[in-house]
Amino acid sequence: MIRNIRFENITKRYNGELVLENLSLEIPGGTFFALLGPSGSGKTTLLRLIAGLEEADSGSIFLGDEDITHTPTYKRRVNTVFQNYALFPHMDVFDNVAYSLAIRNVPEDIIEEKVIKILKTVGLDKHINKSINNLSGGQKQRVALARAVINEPDVLLLDEPLAALDLKLREKMLIELIDLQSTLKTTFVYVTHDQFEALTVADHMAIMNDDGEIEQVGTPKEIYEFPVSTFVAAFVGTTNLFKGMLHIMDDIPKIEFPGLGMFEIVVSKEKEWMRHGNTIFMSIRPEKIEISKTPMTGFSNELQAMVQSIVYHGRSTQYNVRLKNGEVIQVFEQNEEHFPQEVIDYDDHVFLYWQKENVVLLEK
Amino acid sequence: MNVKQRIRDFISENASFVFTVPAVLWQVLFLYIPFLLVVYTSLQHCMECSFFDITFSHYYELFDRAYVYIICRSALVALGVTLSCLALAYPIAYFLALRVKDRWKNILLFLLTLPFWTNFLILIYSWVFVLDHNGLINTILLKTGIISEPLHMINNMAAIFVVMVYYYLPFMMLPLYSILEKIQHEVLEASMDLGATNWQTFRRITIPLSMSGIKTGVFLVFVPAFGEFAIPSIIGGGQQLFVGSLISHYFLVARDNQLGAAFTVISGIVLMTCALLFHWLCKVPVQVAQKEVAS
Repeated sequence: MIRNIRFENITKRYNGELVLENLSLEIPGGTFFALLGPSGSGKTTLLRLIAGLEEADSGSIFLGDEDITHTPTYKRRVNTVFQNYALFPHMDVFDNVAYSLAIRNVPEDIIEEKVIKILKTVGLDKHINKSINNLSGGQKQRVALARAVINEPDVLLLDEPLAALDLKLREKMLIELIDLQSTLKTTFVYVTHDQFEALTVADHMAIMNDDGEIEQVGTPKEIYEFPVSTFVAAFVGTTNLFKGMLHIMDDIPKIEFPGLGMFEIVVSKEKEWMRHGNTIFMSIRPEKIEISKTPMTGFSNELQAMVQSIVYHGRSTQYNVRLKNGEVIQVFEQNEEHFPQEVIDYDDHVFLYWQKENVVLLEK
Repeated sequence: MNVKQRIRDFISENASFVFTVPAVLWQVLFLYIPFLLVVYTSLQHCMECSFFDITFSHYYELFDRAYVYIICRSALVALGVTLSCLALAYPIAYFLALRVKDRWKNILLFLLTLPFWTNFLILIYSWVFVLDHNGLINTILLKTGIISEPLHMINNMAAIFVVMVYYYLPFMMLPLYSILEKIQHEVLEASMDLGATNWQTFRRITIPLSMSGIKTGVFLVFVPAFGEFAIPSIIGGGQQLFVGSLISHYFLVARDNQLGAAFTVISGIVLMTCALLFHWLCKVPVQVAQKEVAS
């Protein structure tokens, strides 16, 4: 059954330390939802609250209209893929996967049919009777996944499930997870501190900060392009942050950065903090800046800088450039051509350009 | 190449062989050879007889109801002590390993191993002062007027049993604790998460995973308890004969080494049979548990 998960004013302490305070969040049913935040932000706690492995000090959790705040773990139609797999070491692959059905006394032939079917889905049908200890990391991960989805839970929780795998395997598993979610239509709640994983898998995501507060909820694109705070802008992807004063009395609104001058911006009248004289932040992504050794036209803003270091990433090149006021910012350039016409080198004097629509203004 | 170099090369090339030699040698010298000597002594006609004067007569002598009774009683008491220790130690070890907070763990563990810091005989004798007619319990009960005559609590089977359970409890608890402590908390959480109740989790996950600890504990308690002679003689006043007391009686009091050796061999065989039987029994529940999960 597709049901939303709703947290209402959840507060949770560990040994007197406040982990979550008065947190409210709605996770839409049937979606692939990512909870992204730094280590220790309380995202795993949130997950464990859904599973019933922790109980909130105050507040309520709803699954659809059903209040599950005090429902014992074993009665919740919620299953978890644990970070370190937590497979049963004394059982083989089959018994691990069959566990939740065996507990419910499902007839043997149905169990066998279901286990074989799910093991085929995750590509482990050749290892049915293997001992857990003889599996590779990726195979263990698949067993954990199969074990958690076999009983068709309403919600599947994934706690940093790919943290122990190497990059190639991780990318492969991410695609498989997306496919699995679209086949099962189960709500997936995916906890990670890795923004790449979150952006890849999620339909919707929530960003948590170090204090266990939800900073922003939205689609990956919304969060990446329109972050609501400097925390989100800096945590999801890479960005350059500037602090400056607003000048919006003139015809063209501008922002002034100390030592750099005035730059054109777009202001929306609805936001109350966008007032003349206020000090605010501007976030600009490194790939939204054009870099060139020769002057160009058609851009609303221009800065001059000196190349300090160059990092070659393969598909793109990262330039760390020093501005007039001594600040160092990042610029990404796509490596589109095999033999670029213009080669930028260390200590080169460069022009930086960006359009005023491509920056995000932030209150804090 | 000099000799030193050759020795060094030999050691590094045959490391596994070289380093097992002391252990094997130890076993041969202090276990197998003494045991063979005991077997030989049991077959000797008499102490001063010639080396080849061999007989089974001592064994015939032992086919008496009294001896069979003593062996059976020792085995039953050892079994009872083992089961009581298991029943008492498992919950304690379980809570200590999985439920108690880390900073309390070491203190509690220390308290549990405290008896090991005292001499065995002092430990046992102190029970005499507790259970005696004018001992601690009786004095308190008499003074408070709960009883008018001292209770008879020593020199009987019950007292032996209680003191044996008391003494052997840590031997059961420590292996259980060490194995339960290794169980990942997440594995138990995973079981609950997959729909198992506390009891189902305990039966299907905790017990099978702690089976090797149970086995070690059972061996550590059953084997010495079967041959126990100090506790029956001190607490039982020597009235209740056990295998251990009888063996020590033959060797140290009656000076009949041949009969003592024969009795030792028979008890040894009984003990080994019990051990093998238990070893076999242990495998079955694990398999059954796995079958249950599969079915």
